[in-house]
Amino acid sequence: MTLEQSEYQKLVERIIELLERHRGDPNAREAILSELRTLYKKIPIYPGIITELLPKVVQSTEMDKLKEGEEVVLVLRNGCIVSGKVVEIGPSEIKLVEGKRLDVSSLAEKVPVRREDVREAKVISRVVLEKEWPSLDFEEE
Amino acid sequence: MPELKLKRGDVVMLEGQLSLEVREGEVLISGGLRGKGSRTVIPRAKSVPLEAEGDALVAYTLGQDGKVEQLSKRTIPREWDALISEVIQQRPKKILVMGSVDVGKSFFTTYLANTMLRHGLRPGAIDSDVGQSDVGPPATMGLGILKQPVAQLYEVPLSSAYFVGSMSPSEHMLEFVVGVKWLVEHGLKKADSVIVNTPGWIFGGPGRSLQLYTLETIDPDIVVAIQREGELEHLLSSVPRARVRRLPVSKKVRSRSSGERASLRAMTLGKYFEDAGKLVLNLRKVRLKRCYLHTGRPIDVGTLGVKAQIVHAEQMPEGMLIVIKRRVDKSVIQELEARFGHVRTIIQGSERNMMVGLTNDANEMLGIGIIERIDYERGRMVVLTPVKNADEVAAVQFGSMRIKPDGEEIGTIRQGTF
Repeated sequence: MTLEQSEYQKLVERIIELLERHRGDPNAREAILSELRTLYKKIPIYPGIITELLPKVVQSTEMDKLKEGEEVVLVLRNGCIVSGKVVEIGPSEIKLVEGKRLDVSSLAEKVPVRREDVREAKVISRVVLEKEWPSLDFEEE
Repeated sequence: MPELKLKRGDVVMLEGQLSLEVREGEVLISGGLRGKGSRTVIPRAKSVPLEAEGDALVAYTLGQDGKVEQLSKRTIPREWDALISEVIQQRPKKILVMGSVDVGKSFFTTYLANTMLRHGLRPGAIDSDVGQSDVGPPATMGLGILKQPVAQLYEVPLSSAYFVGSMSPSEHMLEFVVGVKWLVEHGLKKADSVIVNTPGWIFGGPGRSLQLYTLETIDPDIVVAIQREGELEHLLSSVPRARVRRLPVSKKVRSRSSGERASLRAMTLGKYFEDAGKLVLNLRKVRLKRCYLHTGRPIDVGTLGVKAQIVHAEQMPEGMLIVIKRRVDKSVIQELEARFGHVRTIIQGSERNMMVGLTNDANEMLGIGIIERIDYERGRMVVLTPVKNADEVAAVQFGSMRIKPDGEEIGTIRQGTF
């Protein structure tokens, strides 16, 4: 294939890779998006550098290496995700401030939702290429 | 066979598919003079005007969607003829035709070239509209030198071509700008003037870039801007005023849907590969271009010592390139990355159906081809192409489309895959 003529292709691939790696972890994804926005605003002509820096935004670590003041995302054994800033590190627990807790467990088959509880509804369309540009909807190899 | 009696000045719109024969008198088809006995075929989804030069009799046969419509007046705006008279008098070397999609750029190019020919000039026409190229197959830009009148630009015999690599110049901007410059230079060696028909991509950053850098690289004597409502003014502001000629759109311009464009492309490609045969290229002699493959230092795969079926390996400044028989374990890649840096992998067989350009040592395109397979171990590439002599092929230019020999587009390839 012809050579890449810009580094944007790699940037798109890196974003896809990171979104997949942090699937089910909206806190990590939010941090990546936020940094991506900042980087792109500051250095839009250096997509290669953005590609290199983006994986450094969220990195796995060991509990023993956490330090006070760090912003962390903790995935709990029950599937919950807790994020926040570390303010205290004890031998059996750590304490976070400015925290968020997210329950990402799967829902039962039928989920009743009261209309009055809904603030906004969004429809997801997953076959946009086929719908909008059918002549380019090639079979996958 | 139905006949049509015409008087001087009568205008008829011919819509393909149809064939037509001049039985008496003389007519102008797309500005080209046709005398008694001349025959013209208009393919489906194309239309051209016919004007009687005097009393004339034409006979025609209609095919699918074919239509003959007698019009009350000329469809070609007077401004077109005024400009063409100026061109014939002043004989500019480089004429660039610019306009959005479906404004009649190809028709104007044909009409201008035919009229120049009628006045004893030798015009060259370059079609850089890679998606619906009339001169040369799709994914290429072509140069044709007019020696006789044509009804459609695609009838101009191909003199030189440049492989862009895709049906769209998007992500192929470098090939596009280099190619158009290359063709203009070649055209001026063979023709009195060269007319460049440009793609209709005029808006947005990439569209503007494509047009403006084409303008800069060609440096045309005249820029013909065919527009409906001033839609080219943002581009024309960069061109010296004295070189710009603004023209209205011809009234009978026929717009095409994306489906029609795709089917026209498939038809043209299918026709191109009708007489194709298999050519075996020796990759130890033939250079591979526009790809990573064969640009590094070969590595003896036996020395790698990893558990993977690697058929080809090379060391590049960016890391390593390997060709594997099937997907390998992540640990193998990690092991190789520790030794060689970034590892780029190609899966054997993924080259199938890739569209490539075949060139000689002077970088002249001999034709396009479809890769059937690459034997990486023996260094052979089998290509389906109308090019007959493998010894002439000095280089293979990789593109980014997959097509079938019948012209059907079946996929695109991620840049940098090969």
